[in-house]
Amino acid sequence: MKVSIVRGGGLAGLVTKTAVDADSLPPEEAEQLRAKVEEAGVFDLPSKLTTDSPQPDRFSYEVTVQDEGREHTITASEEALPDSVRDLVSYVKNVPGREDEVGPPDDLPSE
Amino acid sequence: MCGSFCLIAPPDVLVRIAEEGAPAERDSALRTLAKSVGLRAQRATVGSAMRELGVDAAELAFLAPTRDAFITVYDVGHGGDFALPGERRRGEDDPASPDPEVNEAYEGAEKTYEFYREVFDRDSIDGRGLEIVSSVHYGTEYDNAAWTGAQMIYGDGGGGMFITGGMTKALDVIAHELTHGITDFTANLQYRKQSGALNESFSDVFGSLVKQRVLGHSAADADWLIGEGIIAPALDGVALRSMKEPGTAHRFDRQPASMEDFMDLPDDDNPRNDHGGVHINSGIPNRAFYLAATEIGGNAWEQAGRIWYVTLTENLGPNSSFQEAAEATVRVAGELFEESGSEQNAVRGAWETVGVL
Repeated sequence: MKVSIVRGGGLAGLVTKTAVDADSLPPEEAEQLRAKVEEAGVFDLPSKLTTDSPQPDRFSYEVTVQDEGREHTITASEEALPDSVRDLVSYVKNVPGREDEVGPPDDLPSE
Repeated sequence: MCGSFCLIAPPDVLVRIAEEGAPAERDSALRTLAKSVGLRAQRATVGSAMRELGVDAAELAFLAPTRDAFITVYDVGHGGDFALPGERRRGEDDPASPDPEVNEAYEGAEKTYEFYREVFDRDSIDGRGLEIVSSVHYGTEYDNAAWTGAQMIYGDGGGGMFITGGMTKALDVIAHELTHGITDFTANLQYRKQSGALNESFSDVFGSLVKQRVLGHSAADADWLIGEGIIAPALDGVALRSMKEPGTAHRFDRQPASMEDFMDLPDDDNPRNDHGGVHINSGIPNRAFYLAATEIGGNAWEQAGRIWYVTLTENLGPNSSFQEAAEATVRVAGELFEESGSEQNAVRGAWETVGVL
């Protein structure tokens, strides 16, 4: 299972990308990652969780999960982020073994 | 029916009374709703009902200005939007809190309020004494601060972009965010493409002016930086943005200084595109303000600031473009000072230099 999170906007307007592969994690962490993805129900969420009139300086997210041939991407405004997805995002952002990048808008490559 | 009962009735009950009650009851229920911090801070919970009633925050603030608890700071205890506002930590006349972030958020709101009151005779964010609610310790290592449409939220920083504790340390950042609230209540510039970049720029302009006035800096003395000293070492820079020299504040700063380098990003939901580059292209109007203010001289909030304030609050609308904003500032400069006077010439020259006029 691979999880990648792209975050943009915020007061700084910068883009961060955080990716983690369950295969590169210790078994316990890999299990926890799966549990967080399960809890967030990522594969069952609509692909857009965005608002028509975004609040200034809030973050926006793109969360992609790949698992056993399935892949699903959701884009979400921070203010519309369900708590379970927020929890997944902060888990991935802190898990040892993740890969982090930061850059200006329109600079980080898409998948 | 709606005497002391309303003081303890939950918002959904009050909304029902407002919907179904007689005119006097409706009025009383609305007043109570207006006083409720819980409602203001958690507008989403009752938002749809309020929209059905056709009531907006401006109307509520007018019904019941809450001067008794004018600036208040809460601790949301690392929760998200659904936990707002959290536990009350400081209000009017309360002593300082042991938590420095509570005090910084409080004092930043107070200084921003005083700026708008004393310089532009504006009573708070809505111009009608709206209570200013802030919550600190939002989220986990949340590298951000924002105006949600109902209140301020501040994270703790420390997530890679800002120093820990940095989100409440910069007065210009606090005033930037509160100015987003003022823009909501006035021009309501849509947060996309050029109107969104203008929305960002007005927040940087007044954020910087609040700081300049507190420091007693003239246009010539000011550093024209936004968020000086609060960015993480990894960004290898001095601040978030430079109004004087857009694109030079840190290693990822790509703000253009003129229309030649305008970045036409799409307004889609892709987080890489920042609603059509609102934090990128704001560099252009930011520099126009810097050029106008330094050309006019003296304190930037006195002449240039007034021109920009009257433009924002009386002359722009949701879809205003850079060119419309530029033309409006030139017109307003002529109305406030004199046609073809030094102020108007400075404003026109500034927009010409950045390639908008």
